[in-house]
Amino acid sequence: MRAGPSQEEIRRHNLGTLLRHVHLGGPTSRAELTNRMGLNRSTIMALTADLTAAGLVREELPKDTGRAGRPSLVVRPESARVYVLAFDVGVDRVVAARVGLGGAVLDRRETTHARGSFDLADLVATLAGFARQMTRKTRADTVCVGAACAFSGGVRHSDGYVRFAPNMGLEDVPFGEELSKKLAMGLPVAVGNEANLGALAEHTRGIGVGCRDLVYLHGEVGIGGGIIVNGQLMGGMSGYGGEVGHMIVNPGGRPCACGSRGCLEAEVGERALLEHAGRYGEPLGRDGVRAVVEDADAGDIMAQDALHRVGNWLGLGVANLVNIFNPEIVVFGGMLREIYLGSAAQVRSRVNTGSLIASREHLRLRISALGDDATLVGAAELGFSQVLDDPLEVLARLGN
Amino acid sequence: MSQAPVLELRGINKSFGPVQVLHDVTFSVYPGEVTALVGDNGAGKSTLVKCIGGIHPYDSGEYLFQGEPVHVSGPRDAAALGVEIVYQDLALCDNLDIVQNMFLGRERKRGLVLDEDTMEEMAAKTLAGLSVRTVKSLRQHVSSLSGGQRQTVAIAKAVLWNSKIVILDEPTAALGVAQTAQVLELVRRLADNGLAVVLISHNMNDVFAVSDRIAALYLGQMAAQVKTSEVTHSQVVELITAGRSGELGLKNGTVA
Repeated sequence: MRAGPSQEEIRRHNLGTLLRHVHLGGPTSRAELTNRMGLNRSTIMALTADLTAAGLVREELPKDTGRAGRPSLVVRPESARVYVLAFDVGVDRVVAARVGLGGAVLDRRETTHARGSFDLADLVATLAGFARQMTRKTRADTVCVGAACAFSGGVRHSDGYVRFAPNMGLEDVPFGEELSKKLAMGLPVAVGNEANLGALAEHTRGIGVGCRDLVYLHGEVGIGGGIIVNGQLMGGMSGYGGEVGHMIVNPGGRPCACGSRGCLEAEVGERALLEHAGRYGEPLGRDGVRAVVEDADAGDIMAQDALHRVGNWLGLGVANLVNIFNPEIVVFGGMLREIYLGSAAQVRSRVNTGSLIASREHLRLRISALGDDATLVGAAELGFSQVLDDPLEVLARLGN
Repeated sequence: MSQAPVLELRGINKSFGPVQVLHDVTFSVYPGEVTALVGDNGAGKSTLVKCIGGIHPYDSGEYLFQGEPVHVSGPRDAAALGVEIVYQDLALCDNLDIVQNMFLGRERKRGLVLDEDTMEEMAAKTLAGLSVRTVKSLRQHVSSLSGGQRQTVAIAKAVLWNSKIVILDEPTAALGVAQTAQVLELVRRLADNGLAVVLISHNMNDVFAVSDRIAALYLGQMAAQVKTSEVTHSQVVELITAGRSGELGLKNGTVA
């Protein structure tokens, strides 16, 4: 049995907390940090001095406050100097970005991917190639403090091993390990499920800032989910938690890529929508979905009916989630943004009839504020998580 | 959420000559909420909004603003209270830039000349407050903007004046899917910033996507004002087309 945390642990925790404030809140004055963290001024000063010495933040005089008195120094994240590599592997596109501390995207590369199976070696080579292009041009004093990837599939969080990704034709591949090897930067690559990371992104930088309980639904070919309970992402034992796309809403319904029938993803995913609208082979992906919503708005009866049916199943799924998690907000991201806006009447009606009054009375249904970049932003946040937990240790390990 | 209404109308009647357009209309608008005003063509939505905006004088009834009875006898009275209306045609001037449009008729002056700097700064601050990132320059002519951007400028113009209530008449009609999403996000943000928003719309998806309450007008009568979390699409459609739906709505032609 041990006594309370040691002084060293407290200091590490405070350093991380301060850095997190600046990372998420942008440039913040010392006075404001004193307020928010509830520490005294000299402690804040010592902490910022440590972070400044490590090159993570810098202090500046504010431009003009318009008020009397000595202005409090503003603490800024060293966005141009400290960065992570963030990757996003989706069914239709692959993105890599260099994201600075504070969340600014400094550089990005992306390519589209034709539907069909991915080849692990190709994929890893593409991502590593992008990373090399982006890091080659950086100044000598920059430091990469992490790398992370959002992946459309079930990922074991301990080592970035992809267990299943039925929509990408991958199964049981050591993706994180391979990418890390190929990058050859001496960094492990953290890999997370794309919807889980989308939830993280909306929670930290999007529509759900300040919400403790959030459900994020991400639509691509399939439907992914990320659930934040009491401010923490619910990953489950191995990281496969939140796969709400495979919640069965219609027993014996449409077949799903996972092998089951009537999963939320089978009834609401892109394929269901396009087939109900009588569209086979026409534009797939975001363009195909957008066309259906657009045509429904213009009066196409088939398209309207397709959205109606899909909206009903989506509402049923959301009603179940609302009853189980009692979230403050449910966020629709990816292609579900369009689908939700085109079928909100059905979704809302289903939620209103299918969930408990007590669970839904303060519920908000919203579309993602980060749009197509939600998963990428989430990957960046995952990449920063280590340096935010223990800033000095991570920098020391990187030999800085 | 369950605050006192910022605007409350009670028993509003309005006739144009022999035609009675509004019968005993009761309508409440709450801060921080989007109230959708729905109804068939000719149900009296526009007339009601124009009574709120002081354009049409109402014949009888009470107009309470923040709990106090007030008398609104013209658009300037309504504007002084903080009620702004964005009409369907947006009322923007194509040949003027964004800042000029936002301050049209209410220009800031410094001495004898216009205070362009302050106006531009205020316009920029308002747009930033609404997280509008789609317009490149504030000195762009409105004629060069897309439909969604125009709607954004018109809404920003309404918000600029410390308004308390913003009324939007069919803001998403004639917009594409992507632009509709942008405008709906903006509508939602206005309410999340604490404003009371009234949204007139025929599109049930838009209504259900952003509103907190739905007020349904039927032949000049308020059929019901309900929370969006308590009704279904078909109930709202029944209220619009028949004035009643089960327990909700009008009973034998009178308000329940």
